Amino acid sequence: MRIGIAGAGTMAEVHAAAWRSLGANLVGYVSLRSAGTDDALAKRFELRARASYADLLQEIDIIDICTPTSQHRSMVLEAAAAGKHVICEKPIATTVEDAQVMIDACRNVRLFVGMVVRFFPQYRSARQLVAAGHIGTPGVLRLKRVSYVPQRAPDSWYFDESISGGMIVDLMSHDIDYARWLAGEIERVYAVRTNAKTGAAQYVQAVLRFRNGAMALLEGGWAYPPGIFRTSFDLAGSEGLIEWCSDQPPPITSFRSPATEAAASVGLPTSGLAEDPYTSEIRHAFECIQSGTAFDVTPQDALEALRISLAVKRSTETGQPIEP
Amino acid sequence: MTDYRLSNHRGKVRIGILSVAHLHAAGYQANLRAVPGVELVGFSHENREEGRAFEQEFGARWFSTHQDLLAEGLDGVIVCAENARHHELVEIAAAAGCQILCEKPIEINLSDAEAMKTACEKNGVSFMTAFPMRFAASTRAVRQMIRNGDLGNVLGINGINHSENPMGHRAWFASKELAGGGAVMDHTVHLADLFRWCFATEIVEVYAEVDNLFARGKIGVDTAGLLLVTLANGVKASIDCSWSRPALYPRWGHLKMEVVGERGTVLMDSLAEYLTLYSKNASRNPSWIGFGTDPNQAMIQEFIDSITQKRQPLVGWNDGYQALRIALAAYESAQKKAPVRLRDFPGV
Repeated sequence: MRIGIAGAGTMAEVHAAAWRSLGANLVGYVSLRSAGTDDALAKRFELRARASYADLLQEIDIIDICTPTSQHRSMVLEAAAAGKHVICEKPIATTVEDAQVMIDACRNVRLFVGMVVRFFPQYRSARQLVAAGHIGTPGVLRLKRVSYVPQRAPDSWYFDESISGGMIVDLMSHDIDYARWLAGEIERVYAVRTNAKTGAAQYVQAVLRFRNGAMALLEGGWAYPPGIFRTSFDLAGSEGLIEWCSDQPPPITSFRSPATEAAASVGLPTSGLAEDPYTSEIRHAFECIQSGTAFDVTPQDALEALRISLAVKRSTETGQPIEP
Repeated sequence: MTDYRLSNHRGKVRIGILSVAHLHAAGYQANLRAVPGVELVGFSHENREEGRAFEQEFGARWFSTHQDLLAEGLDGVIVCAENARHHELVEIAAAAGCQILCEKPIEINLSDAEAMKTACEKNGVSFMTAFPMRFAASTRAVRQMIRNGDLGNVLGINGINHSENPMGHRAWFASKELAGGGAVMDHTVHLADLFRWCFATEIVEVYAEVDNLFARGKIGVDTAGLLLVTLANGVKASIDCSWSRPALYPRWGHLKMEVVGERGTVLMDSLAEYLTLYSKNASRNPSWIGFGTDPNQAMIQEFIDSITQKRQPLVGWNDGYQALRIALAAYESAQKKAPVRLRDFPGV
């Protein structure tokens, strides 16, 4: 199967690397903001940019959409109309209505939404332990995902809530999806948010209440100094507890002199020496599309994560709990 | 009065412990003995078996009634009774002219807490709330960073004070009548007080989810609590007060704060100084054995200093009272499924 990438930003590069490591037939890409010659995709992966999205769609079987969130809807619809399978970056869309339209449009093609946290080995392993009953009934779940303000000018679209959905939809939605995977449907959310007086930094804490009685505290932010990205989970149940934090030392720690590395433009969590989770994610989607088997995470899961994220956002605006 | 007693006992500050129902009594007796110039006169405890056991374990003199201990002529007392019995003991200690250090939470409802203040004022004695975390080097450093503006404008605080279920050590912690509630009553007050203290402001709004998720069908109080609070200066903070650590956890629990500011973030783990012990003889395996400074010692020192220097202690009645209001507001919020504004909540 022939693969094309839509977009030329941070995620497009990450996905291109994943496709390459799988040995897939990556034929080209389309950039929405440049002539395509200076893109890392052109230089690092020696890919040729196509003049238009329609041109690219004609040459491929699977489109991998890595564009800003608000563009997902029209690009997914166009791909589906052309009979192409779709892999779409998360969040699925900026509105539940858009997400529903996209899911409906993909009845005859496969649609995979990259809820990549489900492919991080520590998150996957913890989920398996919970599912196997090692912590009993989930009680209080603590999930942290605090990064820094996206750095590079082309990534400033993250700040525009009409394009990215904002920090809650873009970043906290990972843990909302993970919490749903662990403890099921959510009955009520309440959240507080503080924005920086200067700059784009913001910090949100949300309390989720699940239908089965469990509760969760989610912490999300673009709030740390550049280069700092911390994630953690603490899953307490009636019979046990699972703790993990990105502060734990990785398998390899190096001290180099002088330390001159600049922060990446957009913070991405790392996961030790295992296969890069973005590659695991793309591998899974690719295999399921080729074999016609079901995805581990469905577009409906992505839609629900968006629905809850928007409820969290609304709670920060109204100061009241919201039943999503 | 105090002067007379001090001189009458060769300058020793005479302290008693009223009830050893609270676990902290064991630590306090050692803290008192470590302060030069202090005489631990003894402790009172009405349950004979428990009183005898404490006497044997720690070699402190046991009095079977509180009045017998107070009749010894004391400068100060530490009230370590069950939460709901604090008022009763504070009344008789104040009437006996003793300066008071009271375990947290200071009571289980606002009217009893207010009556304690009245009793202390009427008898001219001071009331100190036992908030030892104000005396930890870690919390003091974080407070200083905030006050210096090192973090810039503070965006929020992630607060953790989760623990094991203390009922494994003392059954009354899980009694609604004696403790006034479970995890929320037990563990909200430390972080609520640290927030108030770090920013020198009040908490104005509380939202909470509260339930019994860790001992369903076994006890009748809450074991899970998540609070989101808003301070008067706009800072938003969370408190996890849950009894969510399993009994086999390497230590009772944690006290942590992560303060996220526009110019920086500070991570505080007050109990980070520990060794990991693996031993057939340990009660937990592994066990985290702390090697940091005991904040209780500095708190007890402050209590003694406030007596000898005849001044108000650095942590007062109002600090305990405001923290209690936050815990009670959390219960109301959970019941109403809505945020509670403290200005609409009883008390001031």
